Amino acid sequence: MTTNRHTQEANPPADDDKLRGLLANLDEAARMLGEARDFAKPGKLPRVLDTARRVLLQPGGAAALEARAQALEEAGVFLGSDWATPQYLLPSLTTYALKSTDANTVVIEALSELRLLAVAKGGYAHPQVSAEQAHHYLTQVLAINLWLLFSAPSEAERETQGRLARIPRQLFHHLAERIGYEHIIDKLIEEIWRILQQRPIQVDSVKQMITQIAICQADPDIDLGASGQGADRLVSSLYGPTRACREDPGLEVYRERLASMDNAALQGEATGFARAMHDTGLVSPYHPVLLRHLLDHGDHLLAEALGLSSTGRDCLLCYRELARALIRSAVHPATPQAVYGLTLMLERGILYQPPVAPAMWRQLGLSLSEWSQQRLSLAFGDTVSPRARLLEGVLCMLGLPLGVGQGNNPTCQSARALSMWAYNDPDYLLQMVAWAARDDEIVMHFEGQPVSSRESIGGVAQSLPMDLDPVSLIVVPHLDRIYAEMGRRCIGREGDPHRWVNPEFHGWWSGRGFRINVDVATGQLEELETFLRHFYASYHPYYNGNQPLIHPQPAGIAVTDSAARFIGWHAITILRVSLDPSEVMRVYFYNPNNDSGQDWGDGVQVSTDGNGERFGEASLPFEQFASRLYIFHYDPLERGELARITQEELDRVTQYVHRSWGADRIPAADFQADAGPRPRDY
Amino acid sequence: MNKDPNKGYIALLGWSLNAIEAAENFDRRYIVVAPEWAEEYCQKHDIPHISWNFERLNDRSMEIAETLQEMGVDVAIPLFEETVEWAGAINSLLLDNPRLYGQSLLLRDKALMKRRAQLGGIRVGIFEEAHDKGDVIRFLKRVNQTLLKLDGDPNDPIHLKAFDKAGCLGHRVIRTPDEVDTIPDEEFPVLMESHLDGWEFAVEAWIHDGKIAFLNISEYVTLGYSVFVPASPELEQYRPQITAQIEKLIKAFDIDFGLIHPEYFVTSDGEMYFGEVAYRPPGFKVFELLERVYGFNAYQASMLVFDPRSTPEEVKAFFPREVEDAKCYAGCFGVYPRRRVVSRLEIPEEIEEDPYFESHELTSPLEETVTKRTAFGTHWGLIYFKGDDPHRLRELLKHQEELDFYV
Repeated sequence: MTTNRHTQEANPPADDDKLRGLLANLDEAARMLGEARDFAKPGKLPRVLDTARRVLLQPGGAAALEARAQALEEAGVFLGSDWATPQYLLPSLTTYALKSTDANTVVIEALSELRLLAVAKGGYAHPQVSAEQAHHYLTQVLAINLWLLFSAPSEAERETQGRLARIPRQLFHHLAERIGYEHIIDKLIEEIWRILQQRPIQVDSVKQMITQIAICQADPDIDLGASGQGADRLVSSLYGPTRACREDPGLEVYRERLASMDNAALQGEATGFARAMHDTGLVSPYHPVLLRHLLDHGDHLLAEALGLSSTGRDCLLCYRELARALIRSAVHPATPQAVYGLTLMLERGILYQPPVAPAMWRQLGLSLSEWSQQRLSLAFGDTVSPRARLLEGVLCMLGLPLGVGQGNNPTCQSARALSMWAYNDPDYLLQMVAWAARDDEIVMHFEGQPVSSRESIGGVAQSLPMDLDPVSLIVVPHLDRIYAEMGRRCIGREGDPHRWVNPEFHGWWSGRGFRINVDVATGQLEELETFLRHFYASYHPYYNGNQPLIHPQPAGIAVTDSAARFIGWHAITILRVSLDPSEVMRVYFYNPNNDSGQDWGDGVQVSTDGNGERFGEASLPFEQFASRLYIFHYDPLERGELARITQEELDRVTQYVHRSWGADRIPAADFQADAGPRPRDY
Repeated sequence: MNKDPNKGYIALLGWSLNAIEAAENFDRRYIVVAPEWAEEYCQKHDIPHISWNFERLNDRSMEIAETLQEMGVDVAIPLFEETVEWAGAINSLLLDNPRLYGQSLLLRDKALMKRRAQLGGIRVGIFEEAHDKGDVIRFLKRVNQTLLKLDGDPNDPIHLKAFDKAGCLGHRVIRTPDEVDTIPDEEFPVLMESHLDGWEFAVEAWIHDGKIAFLNISEYVTLGYSVFVPASPELEQYRPQITAQIEKLIKAFDIDFGLIHPEYFVTSDGEMYFGEVAYRPPGFKVFELLERVYGFNAYQASMLVFDPRSTPEEVKAFFPREVEDAKCYAGCFGVYPRRRVVSRLEIPEEIEEDPYFESHELTSPLEETVTKRTAFGTHWGLIYFKGDDPHRLRELLKHQEELDFYV
């Protein structure tokens, strides 16, 4: 276990100082609360809670609060609230508290959890709960809120909680570490497979989780009991996928072993790595060691080590020098995912498009601006050069166009554009990367007028996003500003600005025809029936002359939560519409959100696996998808007749709309419904 | 805390939890004189209390003074502007000194106060009372004629203030005759003052036996928005002159004890102009700032200097040395929503990350539409900062004005 288990860097001293300062502040606030007479306590509590909130946002903050749990409780933090009687707390209520928009609720819940943790660990003898009770309670809380360990904040959380959404996550990482993953490990494994099935580009958090599992398994003090059986493939894919590295001997030892292997042994290693990679989408740091070693051997072994099909192998042989140059520059033990990106890029055959290979050569030699280098180093550290890091990102994006995620940022539009270009127009993507990374500027055109990312006054995101893959990290800030600027140039026009912005922003293939079923001025539903008939006529193979969708099309979704309540407007890409294995017509789409498997309520459960999805695709039955759609594009020249869908089917879709996000948007003569928020992207 | 029967018995006029808490933790007996709505709360929490409605002084005014006298109370302390003349009336009886009532009336009326200061040889700007809009226009013109402005030159502004309200309440700035129309008739009469270009600051001075026991200078970064203590070295260099001014003020108003809170301008040539003075704790939580900086409780300080039984030794021992004993600089900023429609409170990340940021007392908005501010208005809550560098603190406080806390 010597490879990348040490990636959790020590906190830089600046963070330590900050935490120390905050803790001094907290201790003082808690002292004042403790000394205050009962009547004065309510006046002292806000400062304690607010300071605790800031402590929770710091690395190591949760541990510091756990250590202070008893002092805080005795000072009176929980006085007069439900948390004052922990013996009656219900695990199932924690979810609501942690998702609350009220910072104090989130913080007091977090403090209560940390207090029970201190009790469970024996550090705090509590008059009302025993260590066993506390332990049992926390195990349940962890299992119920497992999503907090795995996922970046969802749209819903981002929209309602903002930065606050980080607190439950940091808290739960601390809880899981202290309580022990063995209690939650089976759920963890299930969840990891579900995420990997979507083949995200960013796998750091998955790798961290697998590492946690591996550490638990290796620790003789942890009794996993019967749990953790399904973890072997996951752990081995990272730490010992082949015979020669089974026991995780360390990169140096493995390199020596390779040197003394004959062809048959190398073949065995190659196949082992390829299988692990294709099984999971994860690449072990040993894999790059083998690949670099094989550069001195024949193409056959290289193709084996990438697990290429005949298509990919052809491509590799055709672009032999380029592929080798890419391996030399981008594939390092610190950038193992580059292997998977390269493999899938070869499999896609996009190198056969004339501009792509020369554009890759440009990428190989690209000199990055100071700014780009700094951003990459800041986000990913400097174990490899920023250029290699970016190259890994480029390979992954071209190999996994649907694996692009927006991180915890309101930049779904930019993530969608990147994904769409990687999918549909790879050399254009490479052009964008070159401009952004080398020149610190992207110029796009809006209705003939140039829009420069440098001159624009600001984007949708208020701060520079950091939690992104290398390509997004460099390009998204530019795209975001351009997108926002295009929107600003539409101010004053009647109707929704996406009508003009989407085609100009994403590419010529986005239909210039545009339909929306919400009246922008009032937020009310408008012409829902025509909208739906038109959508069927444009996209549904039974109504459009059995024409498969040609280009990916931007579309807008009204996202709802698991109770089917409206959350916000979201940008997605419609990729294809076809019958699934059980003969149900489904829409397959790309969601720039980091995890597409979402429950949109009222039985609308977005599927990512098992219904004919390709990696990274989300899907819904056509009707259900139509019920959450509010914007789509079409080619005005191909507009046919409105589809003659049966009234029955139409009613079903309309019912779905009315039961969810459309509930308070139904225009009616006899009653005045509340307008609800107007369309706006986030 | 155990109460010392040999020390004074003090009445607090007005409802302030911070003051009650301070009194609770101090060795003097106390009683809260507050409106009836506080009674239940006081009973529940065991706070000594008498109900009293502080309307305008009337025939029953003697009643409260006599009640307190019968209880053995030694002195009354005003906590708010509206209770200043009550304290004057009550203390004239308790301390058998009728002059105190007259003094409190002087301190309640901004026009009388300025005249008295002027008589005492203190420099003030040009000022006048206005009874209607015509008076305001005349004053504006005359001030600008005096300044030798020609037609078409931009006017120097004038300031309008209510006679008897605390701080910035009802404070307006008028530059053109058109703006006069925006003043509602019910705001008259008002006090008008010429504008003084200069550095405005405030002083909190605790006076015992007619002498300054502790003098704090509060530096305003922007009037109505931000203040910090102790003042920066650039302002503290005027301390000797400021002390001399305060001594003049003590003499002019014949102040023997208590806490005064005057405001001054210092112009570029080092001249001090008196603005106004209040005989009560300052708004904007300067008391809290002082506690953070020096560690002493300013309410207790007031109880100490008001108490006729305090000895000079006790007073001397209570206060730290000005500036020298300050542990840090502390400041606060009053937040006003900048947008017309707001949905939630969101402290900007750069503030939260700033090591000088200490805490805030902002709450989530109750209404989405922000009432338009006519005069200076009331802020929605304060944010506290503290740190070692007064210049960085000042810049930080200034910078807050450009940020949105309600979005």
